[in-house]
Amino acid sequence: MDIISSLSIIALSALIHASFQLSVSVLTLLSGHSIGAKRSQAKVLGMTTSFVIGVGVMTVLLLSFISIVLIDTLGGNVPPVAWAMACGLLLGIGVAVWLFYYRRENGTSLWVPRPIANYLTDRTKATTHSAEAFSLGLTSVLAEFIFIIAPLVISALVLIQMSPGWQLVGIGLYTIVSMLSLIIVWVLIGSGHKLSIIQKWRESNKYFMQFAAGSGLIVLGFYTYVVEVVGRTVGGL
Amino acid sequence: MSLTSYIVKQNGVRRSEQFSREKLHASIVAACLSVRTPIGQAEIIAQSVAEGVIAWLENKPEVTSHDIRLAAAKHLQAHHPDAAYMYQQYRITI
Repeated sequence: MDIISSLSIIALSALIHASFQLSVSVLTLLSGHSIGAKRSQAKVLGMTTSFVIGVGVMTVLLLSFISIVLIDTLGGNVPPVAWAMACGLLLGIGVAVWLFYYRRENGTSLWVPRPIANYLTDRTKATTHSAEAFSLGLTSVLAEFIFIIAPLVISALVLIQMSPGWQLVGIGLYTIVSMLSLIIVWVLIGSGHKLSIIQKWRESNKYFMQFAAGSGLIVLGFYTYVVEVVGRTVGGL
Repeated sequence: MSLTSYIVKQNGVRRSEQFSREKLHASIVAACLSVRTPIGQAEIIAQSVAEGVIAWLENKPEVTSHDIRLAAAKHLQAHHPDAAYMYQQYRITI
């Protein structure tokens, strides 16, 4: 696979990752509690920045960890069966996202276990320092692992076939693109926009985001299957 | 006015507690501030909403915290729809 194709798959995976909303939900809640607790705009900005950095660090760590595990088990040359399994994961999670990602109720409640959601809500309310916000960022990525594992695995499979220099570029590209939605909300909050406008937009477009994320996973799974499994098995591509 | 209504906490997991006007007031002020309402206006709205909820609570010996939240949101809606929206979103954002 050439560099452009590899980076395109990583970018598309990261874009799908960006359409998952748990970190954005936690950031919205964190900002609401911080502003509501009469903290200064500088303090709010410091906490939200720490949260965003936490999300970025955990994304880098997860992608690197999965890449190391895959390179240890598969080596630098990924067999078609591994691609086929990854494609199955993408298609399965894509259909699951279509069916379950948002709960069928008002608001933007996600299909994450309620104890985890309640824990995150309570921890967000109790967060008063930037270090706690950083940890909350780390945790929010882990809490959504069941959904983001598919784009992470596909990106890792692409990454381990690249040269070390391009691997760093790929990890950086994935991290930045996967955080785009979070960065947009962070900039909006930092520039003084009302949280209610952001939350209303998220609520009114949640089923579109769900459809886009599920469709993205299925399209990526289908494309990867055709290129890496059918193409290599038949030997034509 | 002294109220003796007891609030049953969410899912009945935590212990019931007596209604606190101060807690309600603080939560309404926080909701108003979260949508960038000036502090003075937030205090006035919170006072008005608390009075509305206290009037609603009379003759109700026991209510759930969810009932209180619904009643407060209904009163807040009349004063500040954006703040009421954020107030309702508390447990349904994640």
